[in-house]
Amino acid sequence: MKTNRRHTLAIAAVLVAGLILFGAGTDGFRAFTSEAARVNRLMKEKPPFPEVVLEDSNGRTYTISEFRNKYVLMSFMYTSCPDLCVITEMNMAQIYARMPEQDLGENLVFLSISFDPKRDDPAALDRYRNHFGSDGETWRMVRVPDREELDLLLKRFGVIVIPDRDGNFAHNSAFYLLDRNGRLLKVMDYDKPEEAAKVVTAILENDRGE
Amino acid sequence: MDQAKIGAGLFVFLALPPVANFMESVMVIHMHMQMPLLVVAGLLMAPFVQKRFPRIFEEWNPTGIPGILLFALITCYWLLPRAMDEALTYPGMEIFKFASLPFLAGIPLCDSWRKLGGTGQKWVVGFFAAVFMGMGLLYIFAPVRLCNNYLKIDQLTLGWGFVLTSVGMLVYLLYRALVNPAEYE
Repeated sequence: MKTNRRHTLAIAAVLVAGLILFGAGTDGFRAFTSEAARVNRLMKEKPPFPEVVLEDSNGRTYTISEFRNKYVLMSFMYTSCPDLCVITEMNMAQIYARMPEQDLGENLVFLSISFDPKRDDPAALDRYRNHFGSDGETWRMVRVPDREELDLLLKRFGVIVIPDRDGNFAHNSAFYLLDRNGRLLKVMDYDKPEEAAKVVTAILENDRGE
Repeated sequence: MDQAKIGAGLFVFLALPPVANFMESVMVIHMHMQMPLLVVAGLLMAPFVQKRFPRIFEEWNPTGIPGILLFALITCYWLLPRAMDEALTYPGMEIFKFASLPFLAGIPLCDSWRKLGGTGQKWVVGFFAAVFMGMGLLYIFAPVRLCNNYLKIDQLTLGWGFVLTSVGMLVYLLYRALVNPAEYE
């Protein structure tokens, strides 16, 4: 009889432990991949953009405070990327085209950040910029020349970059929106430009209303 | 006793940093070799633990069901793409992997397997055949990378590894259903 009770108790304990393990391991059954977990965590923490030196396609250098008082929509890429970044940047161009013209440069700046500083010098960035119709002012393409600063930046936003055998990088992708103080406001799906455009437009219009 | 030593040796070998780093560098080796070998290390160490604490196993796992549930739970947890990623990112998760797979999956499996009997064993194999087939198809057809630490081609390889393992289990079930070994003795 005693054994019987322990048997039932053991089954119950295992099931409860399982629920806890799976619940805790997936943030309450919401994030089964670490990418989903990363986005959830970023949205909660809203980290500030670190003070790293950026170098753009014109060879100018500055930090994020260059864009103080403006929203910044950014993506991470490298110019020799065969697929994912091309899609991301094409979608970025779509969002760019949907933005109210009066806001571009005034209230909102687009920023494509390369994580391949070795190959993406200002000349390479300039060629890439041309492909996607970025003007180099309201939509800038930059690299982070200093390796340590780049690693800090990637880590801050949870961008994981792994080099593969052919000199390419596998990496996760998203659109990141920084608020007027350089703090992360939103992470949006890189493959849903219409949605991202709606979100950004809504925020800009909301600000105008106030 | 010797078997337990082999198990402990296997466990230590798998935990050596160069061995662990190499196995974890390839997704399919990580999931289909390192993790099962950790369970095997637990299986080999089980008789030693059973002999030292016989009452615990008799009292709490008389039918084998609690043990096999614990085994299923731990293994299924480590099938999650996120769990595999986090084992590579967080040292705490890596320690949990090395602790949970031998001691919370391997040992209970060994204790439960005989107690379950033929029908129970077939259910367990059937369950894992279904889970592995599902996970395999998920890894093969997922349009995105499920693990941030691995390339998509690794994910595809792993998917096919799952499907083939599942097919192997189905063949085993078919064999158990159709062939009576006594006829050949």
